[in-house]
Amino acid sequence: MEYEPILPLKTIVFQVLFLLVAIAIEAGILRQRLRLGFQTSVQYATVINLAAVVAGWITFLVLEPLSPMEVKAQIMSYLLFNRLLVNGWTTELGAILFAIALVSFFGTFLIKAKGLEYFLRIDKSWALLKKQPKKKLTRGDIYAKARGGGVEDSQTTFDFTDTVIQANAASFSAILLLMLLRFAIQGWSA
Amino acid sequence: MQDIFQDLNAQLRQLLVPKDIFAWQTLLLLSLFSLFIAGALDTVEGASQLAISLLTNLSWIFFTAAVWWGLSEAKSLKVADFHIGPWITGAVLCLFLFRPWLSEFRLRWAISSWPIISTGVMALPHYLNWELEFKPPKDAVKKTLIMTLLVNLLLSSWISFHFRIQDWVRSYPSLLVRSLDESDFVVDFVIDRQQPSQGVALLEGMIREIEKDLDNQPWYQTERWLYTRQIELESALKETLRSLEAPDEQVLLQVEAPAPTQSDQSYLLSLKAIWSGPMARNGAFDLEKICKISPVDAPRAVPTEADEPQPLTRLTEVDCGEDPAEERFRARSL
Repeated sequence: MEYEPILPLKTIVFQVLFLLVAIAIEAGILRQRLRLGFQTSVQYATVINLAAVVAGWITFLVLEPLSPMEVKAQIMSYLLFNRLLVNGWTTELGAILFAIALVSFFGTFLIKAKGLEYFLRIDKSWALLKKQPKKKLTRGDIYAKARGGGVEDSQTTFDFTDTVIQANAASFSAILLLMLLRFAIQGWSA
Repeated sequence: MQDIFQDLNAQLRQLLVPKDIFAWQTLLLLSLFSLFIAGALDTVEGASQLAISLLTNLSWIFFTAAVWWGLSEAKSLKVADFHIGPWITGAVLCLFLFRPWLSEFRLRWAISSWPIISTGVMALPHYLNWELEFKPPKDAVKKTLIMTLLVNLLLSSWISFHFRIQDWVRSYPSLLVRSLDESDFVVDFVIDRQQPSQGVALLEGMIREIEKDLDNQPWYQTERWLYTRQIELESALKETLRSLEAPDEQVLLQVEAPAPTQSDQSYLLSLKAIWSGPMARNGAFDLEKICKISPVDAPRAVPTEADEPQPLTRLTEVDCGEDPAEERFRARSL
């Protein structure tokens, strides 16, 4: 069998580039919010981003052959010609793309949160994170404490989740910005 | 010259002859021995195939184990501070497991799963001790293993993606009528590609079927054929698709035949292949062939008197021109 001289080299370059951007940004946020060491935060950011990217690839590689011809034609058009086929699809297309963006954002968030928790547990930092000094107690917290409930626990989980979602949002926004910038420059030069 | 040979011989001996019974060289020799016996058995008439394949497999297993063992002792085999031994062992293991030279499908699986299998080779010693009992790896090791696994999964994904693209251009070859220079995902190393789409072969095949149906047939039959052309063309299309390289493409390349126009006594039948799949710059293309189907009068083969004119019969002549169809490019209508 002969192969066409077509290689996904641009995919690899862009993926590495975007991964580096995402890792840099997320490591910064993890370091600041979870008070981790410099090296540790870079390591964690690398692992959670790699996990998210791999999950994305597996989803794509599994779903693409299962998708109907219309969707497949759209995928091929996007990947090979950098545009979507637009006849008759315009109204649905926006909604579908929005849904995909939403699913991928929360999907990556879930993977990153679970991955980070796993790595923190390996390093035995998860328990330390829970003992972190809290912010000022609110009235509700004091009541809850008086009732004997564990406010502390939910507070840290909230902080942790908040950090991960913030890191994810920041890296998504940065990559989106880079892509928009690229389109702008392309439109400019064309 | 003699000296060099002797020196080489001595060095090879030092490398390959085991210093201890319990060494990787023993396994290598065992592997060669099994291979030799398998080869010898193969020449003997009536030797059992089972024994031969058993011995060849054993030889492979010994060889893989020898490579594994030998490389795990070679501590200096590093690329950027990273041991690459497992990836070589993984390659040998993939050769053994998939036999990639047998078919393209096997080759594809062997290459795609090479990174993952190599990670397995790297991880295994951390999970088993020398008595082959399970032991949980240390936490620091666990982190390195997860990181390595993820990187290798990413590599495997890239390789699979490459093969997926190759599948696309093979199933839908008309994607490649022009270069893929607009893509942000792939690099097309053919600059300014100008290859004919499969529509050319499709129309040629259709015309051959039509000629087979109509040429030299009585004219009244041809007129009936033209009247029921949708059914006839459908079966012609089905026949043609069987001989095409990539019949799957027909979902993106539709054939249309509008009602034939009449001029004088003959009919003009136009066949159109329309590409509705993706194309560069959101364009589209179609191909067209026009066949002239005309009646000709031919003498009928019946016995006649000498001075009587030969009775005539109307037969059909199909003329579709010699030039192959060409792609007509246009902007896609929204």
